[in-house]
Amino acid sequence: MPALRATKICKSFRGLFTKKEVLHEVSLSIEEGEIFGILGPNGAGKTTLMAIFSTLIRPDEGTLEVLGLDALRKTHAVRERINISSGNPNFPWSLTVRENLNHSAMLYGLYGRDLARSVDEAIAAFELEPHADSKFETLSTGTKQKVSLAKSILNRPKILFLDEPTSGLDPEMAMKTRALIQKIYEEQEITVVLTTHYMPEAEELCDRIAFLREGSLIALGTPGELKRALKIGHKMFVEYEGDLDPMKLCIIPGVMDVREFPGRVELVFDHSEMAVSRIIRAFEGADILDIGIDQPDLEDVFLELAR
Amino acid sequence: MSWRGELNKFLSATYKNWIMSKRNVFTVFELIFWPFISLLSIGLLTRFLEVDESMVAFVLVGAIALSILQISQIDIAYILLFDLWSKSIKQTFVAPIRGYHLVLGAMLFGVIRGSAVFLLLAVASSRFFGFDFLAGGLVTIIVFLVGTFITAASIGMVVCISILLFGQRADVAAWSLSGIMMLVSGVYYPVEILPGPLQLLSKSIPLTYFLEYYRSAYGYGSHQVLLGMSLALLYFAVSLLILNLAIERARSTGMMLRLSE
Repeated sequence: MPALRATKICKSFRGLFTKKEVLHEVSLSIEEGEIFGILGPNGAGKTTLMAIFSTLIRPDEGTLEVLGLDALRKTHAVRERINISSGNPNFPWSLTVRENLNHSAMLYGLYGRDLARSVDEAIAAFELEPHADSKFETLSTGTKQKVSLAKSILNRPKILFLDEPTSGLDPEMAMKTRALIQKIYEEQEITVVLTTHYMPEAEELCDRIAFLREGSLIALGTPGELKRALKIGHKMFVEYEGDLDPMKLCIIPGVMDVREFPGRVELVFDHSEMAVSRIIRAFEGADILDIGIDQPDLEDVFLELAR
Repeated sequence: MSWRGELNKFLSATYKNWIMSKRNVFTVFELIFWPFISLLSIGLLTRFLEVDESMVAFVLVGAIALSILQISQIDIAYILLFDLWSKSIKQTFVAPIRGYHLVLGAMLFGVIRGSAVFLLLAVASSRFFGFDFLAGGLVTIIVFLVGTFITAASIGMVVCISILLFGQRADVAAWSLSGIMMLVSGVYYPVEILPGPLQLLSKSIPLTYFLEYYRSAYGYGSHQVLLGMSLALLYFAVSLLILNLAIERARSTGMMLRLSE
């Protein structure tokens, strides 16, 4: 049984005289225990999709099944089993971290020792002890993000939705946050669905990825599958002295692109075609000064899909 | 879900309103400053106009009722207003919580604050203007307060409904609706002096009946408190129903998301 199954989800937002379609027939299935990424450029509909998945808003059309429950009818039961953390999170500003977590735990029906233990564990998991008695409004962006993540594990959700969890964080804090997400995932054996437009984050965390563009799902698969499907090749640069006929490089099987600069050549090639030795042989008669190969990353996939 | 878990869902709104109130200076003004200033102004006006004791009681009952109404209704409106101002509405509504959890939890705090304001104003009006607030007995006070609290809860829910339907700008309703109540429910004058259509409107507002009930203890005519209580309970139930529909509509229109941005 998939943890989440969405079928032909459509959503439009209406103004007084306008109607903007935000999601168009999005269908996907997320397996239990996987970390699933939803990627796309700004305005692709990622946040709206997460809001629908977490039952905060309703789709105009389509069906949604979460943990085997009809999430459009059994919303209350679904909400008890899931939780969400958003980028740039907000909580009542005058409440301290502990008070905000207490309040959130109460909303989920926790009480007594269970409530106290859940709040203490969440504070400890995200190293929030030094800020536990600070008002939310006085916290840094990174600490606010940690509070949001801490809140999201209070009810021990079976599915955790993370909407741009590292948005607005500096690289060090973003790295720590990713490590914390990985830690929650491993310790609590949950399904994680996250949105991001930071490609290395998706590559580091996600088992599978869905790409949204202008409200439509345009690709879905593992990072490797997506790279292969889009024929995004390895990148190679060679710095050299001497004579080189670039045409020799262009005709090598597997070489997809060649760019020539004074004393330097940059190539894109399909690694599976065993092209590296042939490329190097093409430099006979010249001295190779430096050489480097980069594997394709999701950034390339993203750029390709976002075009 | 155990009963204690369910109870804590109710108390979540009480807890939030309590902490927000104790941390913010404007709630001190709400609770003490404005009610006290209002009572003193009205009381001093009665001195200036040299009205008799029963007229002083008439006017002070209205001033006290209006303050209680404002305090208690704003506590219900705070269910959304605090979240609206903090842009944290989605934190509340992604949780497995229902409208009645929030309303009854906030109402509990509203009752506590409203009762404190009543006590403060009753003692102050007794001390400064010789108003015997216990003239009708304890039961009269309890019925008057219960009726006013239920009416206030309905007004607070109307504020929440307006915000969910029309967005953040509708928060002005939080301070406007009790003003309309003041005009048409006979807070400072008998409803008989209102123009015909407004008199009809006043008969549809429960506060009119609770004011008449409390004032009847000071010799001001008869009362129909049972009708008032029935109307108050009816409005409460209808408001709660519409609030739940408004929450669902805000989920459908995406207002729930926009209010968090």
